Amino acid sequence: MPHVLVIEDDPQVRAALLRALDERGYATSSAGTGLAGLHSAVTDQPDLVVLDLGLPDIDGVELLRMLRSVSAVPVIVVTARDEEAEIVATLDRGADDYLVKPLGAAQLDARIRAVLRRSTSDDPVSAVVVAGLVVDPASREARLDGRLLDLAPKEFDLLRYLSERAGQVVSKRELLAEVWRLPYGGADKTVDVHLSWLRRKLGETAQQPRYLSTVRGVGVRLSAPEES
Amino acid sequence: MRRQLTALVAATTSLVLIAFLVPITLLLRSEAEKRAISAATLKAESLAPLAFNLADGPLPSSPDEGFVVTVFEPDGRIVGAPAERTPSVALAASGEAFAARTRDGVEVLVPAQTVHGGAAVIRVLIPGSALYGGVLRASAVLAGLGLVLFTVGLVVADALGRRLVRSVRGLATAADRLSAGDMSARVPPAGPPEIRQAGAGLNRLAVRIAELLASEREGVADLAHRLRTPLTAIRLDAEAVRDPQLMTDIDQLERTIDEMIRTARRPVREGVVASADLVDVVRVRVGFWSVLAEDTGRPMSTYLPPMTLAVRTSPTDVAAAVDALLGNVFAHTPDGMPLQVTIRPQLKGAVLVVDDGGPGFGNLADLQRGRSGSGSTGLGLDVARRTVEAAGGFMAVGRSPLGGARVELHFGPSE
Repeated sequence: MPHVLVIEDDPQVRAALLRALDERGYATSSAGTGLAGLHSAVTDQPDLVVLDLGLPDIDGVELLRMLRSVSAVPVIVVTARDEEAEIVATLDRGADDYLVKPLGAAQLDARIRAVLRRSTSDDPVSAVVVAGLVVDPASREARLDGRLLDLAPKEFDLLRYLSERAGQVVSKRELLAEVWRLPYGGADKTVDVHLSWLRRKLGETAQQPRYLSTVRGVGVRLSAPEES
Repeated sequence: MRRQLTALVAATTSLVLIAFLVPITLLLRSEAEKRAISAATLKAESLAPLAFNLADGPLPSSPDEGFVVTVFEPDGRIVGAPAERTPSVALAASGEAFAARTRDGVEVLVPAQTVHGGAAVIRVLIPGSALYGGVLRASAVLAGLGLVLFTVGLVVADALGRRLVRSVRGLATAADRLSAGDMSARVPPAGPPEIRQAGAGLNRLAVRIAELLASEREGVADLAHRLRTPLTAIRLDAEAVRDPQLMTDIDQLERTIDEMIRTARRPVREGVVASADLVDVVRVRVGFWSVLAEDTGRPMSTYLPPMTLAVRTSPTDVAAAVDALLGNVFAHTPDGMPLQVTIRPQLKGAVLVVDDGGPGFGNLADLQRGRSGSGSTGLGLDVARRTVEAAGGFMAVGRSPLGGARVELHFGPSE
């Protein structure tokens, strides 16, 4: 049972996070201030820390730097700020992943599992292979039948997410939440237009799909093309 | 400015010099004439006692005077320089001494009574050249002096203008850099007190703007924290209840809050200057959405003018507004419906028109007010409306010639 330390100053959010993590089978502990959290991280030696950046006593980024100097524990940063520059800076300072508030329990659970998987595995992240499609998360490159695909960052993230779930139907709500980190609005066409671009770059169309097929009313699935 | 200042000094100096030199020259001329007439009168009076004893021939004269002396004897003889016996001579012979202006200059006529009872008349003619002797030279000296003063005035004005222009140019350069968004620009303290004062004021203003932007940035970050943190607790609690309707409502609330934060970030995003090329941004966004149009069988036509059309908002916001409008068309019209994007340049600003062949808007009045009836269409239109209003324009909705909805974004001028 992995032990997760939650460092969050808001008592309601802290309580809700602890309850959600308890329900998903994690051992939990918490701290309401940065310094108490640092002390707990050093003494309790949790398997993972969920760190809110907006703390009352010390800046979250500064706490992350201090934590990194004494411990290699994986840290998932939770922040209300969604500017890309700040997120990149936070990751550069040693965070293993980040989540923008408001976050869902399932999303947090998935991120914790992914970070724990990475931290416990000695192997580097391996490339995903679906027939002639190879998606390499480490180099952020994708190749189709040996040819390098020219993908925009979001297109790569979308392809990676789908390829890691090859054969499964993934809903647009899930894609919006996991790839774009946006709430689902019902009428959002962001996912559709990116899927259209991805189809173009994979050399297929909605009418003649190969790797990407739409399951009407459910979502989209990436799978190996059927032999004709 | 330097040229204008020099021209002003040239005009002022010229007027002052003219105002002084012209009366002085006229006075000199008048004095010279009076002096010459006095000398001529004295000459005539000095000859008066000898007038009746003069023999024919030349008269005694001073070589430097330049006068022409003639004596009209009562017996009709004319002694000295030949001259006509004019009516003036006859008048003088009646006993009146006077000076009169003639074609050759000024003549001074003095009568001299003889012992025989008749009157001789001594006429001294002052030729034009002798009348104003020395005036020309004095005028030349005055003109030279005037020219020197004029030149000195110009040189001093130019030096002063150069100094003023240098300090004003520093002020203008700093103002240009600030208006272009460079908040580090400062005016170096130089020039006259008024320019220094204006520079110091501009520097204080720059510091204040930078402080306000920093404060705005902090405020928006704080707003995001204050709104999103309690929403996290609500979402986590709602997930525990497992009510799909509640989750949908929370999704909608999240999107609204995201849009509020995005709107609040506008000043930070735009900085001091907001400008975007509407045509360029629309071309890129239409290109982005065109693949979805192809995949959904929608004929998509675009009419963009071959020019740059600057609007007063950031490229990010224009792109978000275009995405919102096009996304609405894809979300709320059936596949296969036509779509048209047009930009019309205006005298001041530009109009972006998005037409579709779908079912059109249900309640135009609600949409005009930016209300969200279903929680989907309204938010997209609200993004577009806020963007165009922040750019000094407005949004209008109506029926499209394609049979569906039309949305017009009327952008104001870029400055």
